[in-house]
Parts: sequence; C-alpha cells; structure tokens
Amino acid sequence: MTDDPRTIRVDEFLSHPPAKVWQALTDSELMARWLMPNDFKLEIGHRFTFHTRPIPAVGFGGVGHSEVLDFVPEKMLQIAWRTAPDDASSLDSVVTFVLEPEGTGTRLFVVHDGFDPDDPYQALSRRIMSGRTKGGWKGVGQRISTVIDESLT
Amino acid sequence: MSTLTDDVFAALASPVRRELLRLLLDGPRTVNDLASHFDMRRPSVSEHLKVLRDAELVSEHRVGRERRYQLEARPLVDLQDWLHPYERFWRERVKALRDVLEDM
Repeated sequence: MTDDPRTIRVDEFLSHPPAKVWQALTDSELMARWLMPNDFKLEIGHRFTFHTRPIPAVGFGGVGHSEVLDFVPEKMLQIAWRTAPDDASSLDSVVTFVLEPEGTGTRLFVVHDGFDPDDPYQALSRRIMSGRTKGGWKGVGQRISTVIDESLT
Repeated sequence: MSTLTDDVFAALASPVRRELLRLLLDGPRTVNDLASHFDMRRPSVSEHLKVLRDAELVSEHRVGRERRYQLEARPLVDLQDWLHPYERFWRERVKALRDVLEDM
C-alpha cells in the first residue's frame, strides 16, 4: 500500500518473457480471462468498456469506460480508467502497465493513478491511516496486505 | 457502502484499539502481553478487547489457563477493500494473469 492517496502501485514478478506477458495484456480474449470481458483493441484512441464485479466501497458500478492512451510494444501499455456517468462516485484515472525483463521472466508494474484525494472515501481512509497522530496506521497497510495474502493462500 | 459494519468503524475510532490491532498483526498474544504495552489497568485493556471482539476484528482462544487474542482475517479483507479497493483488485487480477500465462 502506498502512502500517496492518488496512486496505487502493484508490482509482481512473472516467470514468463515480456513478449508472452505482452500478449496476455493486449489480446482481448486473454484479457477477458485475467482482467475482465472487454472490447479492447491495441490502437491508440480506441475506446472500450470493461465489465466486472461492482466495488460498492468506491461507488463503482461494474462497467469501466476505457481508452487506449499510449503503448510501446512489449514495454508499456497505458489506458484510461473511468467510471460510468451514473456511478455513485466519479473516477477519471489512468492505469499504466510497465514490463521490465528480469532474468528469463518479466517484472510487471501496475500503476493506477489519478484518485481524487478530496473524495470523501479517500479522506476518511487517510484519517485512519495517517501517521502524524499517535496511534495512526502508517505502514500497517502493507502488513494487513501480508496477513490477507497469507489467509487467502 | 460495503459489508463493513458500524461496529468495525467504532472499533477503529480509538487509538488504543488501533494499537492493539497493530500488535496483533505480529501474531496472537495474551491479554497480559497486550496490557503491558499500555499505561492503563488491565480491565480497561480488556474492555477495549471486548469492543474489538464484538466487531469480530479479533477472536479469543483459551490456551491452558491463559486467554489469547488473534486477528480475524475476514473483516480485515473488508477493511482493506474499503481503504484501498483498487489495490486488492489489481493484486487479484495480477494473480489471475499468472494463471493465464501458465495456460498459454
């Protein structure tokens, strides 16, 4: 968990070469299997939608409105990530996938940027997580993630 | 909003209870162990633990003559969902990507 409320970063080592990871990232049918059903095309400016489970905690209704913003084959893919106009909360964010060769595999970075720090959900979560006051939760987020990962495996 | 109950938010509103949860992130502890971290009487610590227990954030287990407290993962998952929903979302997606790559 990052302390910057506007950005989420996740990185993961995948034991497959970047070319293969790139295929899984950009082939509509493969994307449907790991991300969500979509009408994606690798074409800058192409607009598409994602269908997934709603996330009530952030007022996300389950349909993501997206657009291919930029890409560099086997290195980087950047897409817009927007909520539907009638969702409870609005989000106009950008997801960037970066692939870096590591050994015979790939390190995948997912950077989700553009969360609104003034969003009431975000503001309340920061108040709980804030490290400035005694008993704040700075640094605890990462450990919660670890506990959760352990409980899910 | 989410499946989080008001109990959970009320439980998290206290710095003492957040500190208790932080201590329990390292693993189960006895009441005495937990109480030694605070400058208050043990019954007061027990009261805070009861609030956490009622919110199902912790559970109590008897080990011999001692009572031990441990974290419960499920409300933490909900809490994490609420604090940073997209982080959990991307972690899960990347795990699914790993499976797809294995099948390719």
